[in-house]
Amino acid sequence: MSVLTALLKILIFPGFLFLSAYALALQFLDRKLYARLQSRQGPPWYQPVADFIKLIGKETLIPAQANQLMFRMLPAFCLAAMAVAFVYIPVWGRGAMFSFEGDMIVVLYFLAVPPLASFLAGWYSRSLFATVGATRTLTQMFAYEVPMFLALLAPTLLSGSWSVSGNMAFYATHPLLVLVNLPALVVTLIVSQCKLERTPFDAPEAETEIVSGPLVEYGGRYLAFFTFSKDCELVVVLSLFTAMFLPFSTGISGVDFLLYLVKTLAVMAVLCLLRATTARLRINQIVAFCWKYLAPTALLQIILNLVLREVFLI
Amino acid sequence: MDLIKKAIAWGSRKSPWVIHFNAGACNGCDIEVVDALTPRFDLERAGVIKQGSPRHADVLIVTGAVTLQVRDRLVQIYEQMPSPKFVIAVGACACSGGIFNGCYCVSGGVNTVIPVDAYVPGCAVRPETLIAAVTKLLDKVEAQTAAADGQLPPGPEAEPTPAPAAAAITDQDGGERHGK
Repeated sequence: MSVLTALLKILIFPGFLFLSAYALALQFLDRKLYARLQSRQGPPWYQPVADFIKLIGKETLIPAQANQLMFRMLPAFCLAAMAVAFVYIPVWGRGAMFSFEGDMIVVLYFLAVPPLASFLAGWYSRSLFATVGATRTLTQMFAYEVPMFLALLAPTLLSGSWSVSGNMAFYATHPLLVLVNLPALVVTLIVSQCKLERTPFDAPEAETEIVSGPLVEYGGRYLAFFTFSKDCELVVVLSLFTAMFLPFSTGISGVDFLLYLVKTLAVMAVLCLLRATTARLRINQIVAFCWKYLAPTALLQIILNLVLREVFLI
Repeated sequence: MDLIKKAIAWGSRKSPWVIHFNAGACNGCDIEVVDALTPRFDLERAGVIKQGSPRHADVLIVTGAVTLQVRDRLVQIYEQMPSPKFVIAVGACACSGGIFNGCYCVSGGVNTVIPVDAYVPGCAVRPETLIAAVTKLLDKVEAQTAAADGQLPPGPEAEPTPAPAAAAITDQDGGERHGK
């Protein structure tokens, strides 16, 4: 692959530009569906774009006591991590733009950046509300990381590949084995909601208690890029989820792309339904729930997959 | 440049994020403000989101005659908002002090403390009135922004700064005792 095509793929399609457009579209669809579930009309289709442009045009205020450099750099870190993670997830066709054995680990590491950036943003803002939000972000991260890693490990144990694309290729030849991973699918679905800090796991951003969590001092274009990278995180998590647990594909690139859109939209609808029908949990309840129920379920799934692999496959 | 200016004017028109501040209201207007944000009126159609942090907000909705206790906090919150920012005084008390005008513990209307862009009379205001006020304010803002030569709407910055007004009232009412 020449450098030019590689650059085009990374920057335009299915890379950064597609990620941006899809992130804004998903934010709209999420808000619209949420509104319809509350029997109201919801925002017009251009709302995420209008919000973004407005925030770009606003004055930039940085608190005097905040760390100027970190305050400015963290949104860029967050966005860059999401853009890189997206490169290793299949969108157009069965294979990702780039892949190597073990790229799933890389994606998971990059997915850990947004909560960390969020934590540092709150910490360096030196505001009381932001600090409370930041510690909650980190606490929540320790709650969901383990079940998430365990659950995402389960399908790779059967496929024998720690690559998102390799996993997709394996399940294309063994589609029925997807059913074995159902408990891990449920765990990852709940954990995704927790990772994305959406209700009922939105304790870090609880606007009725701590104003708006770690981002309380952010405004203007830094807030714009932070919220935008959170939207990109939603796309990356949904894409990874569909690639790992709903890896159905036809082998024809265009059809697979449509399938990708259908699958991510369907999962998004489930997450939105979860958001619309639940109330916020306290942070200690979130930690207890993740460690008492989600982590053991994921562990059982791993034991099941190991046994299956020994008995039937290899 | 012109296109960018127009885009920002359009963005500001389509996405007003509000923050609500009770500066000593009887809670009547506050209930109506919250009412206007409920699914029944569905202000998200116009892009309105209620924000908790003044750093995120564009429109400050103030209710109540400003008491001396809360005056400094109101100024603080106003100054924490990034420009362009707008203030709506909601209710008779916020417009002019209402029945509390001249009371020993009250500054008077919101415009005695910070510059106000729109006044919504009523005791208490109706949600429809509030929605109409927000819409009119935004129309004005968009026209101003699109017409201005390379600068954001004059709005609050063009008017007298809040600090002298607040200081004057401190002298007049002996606010040292009540204000701090």
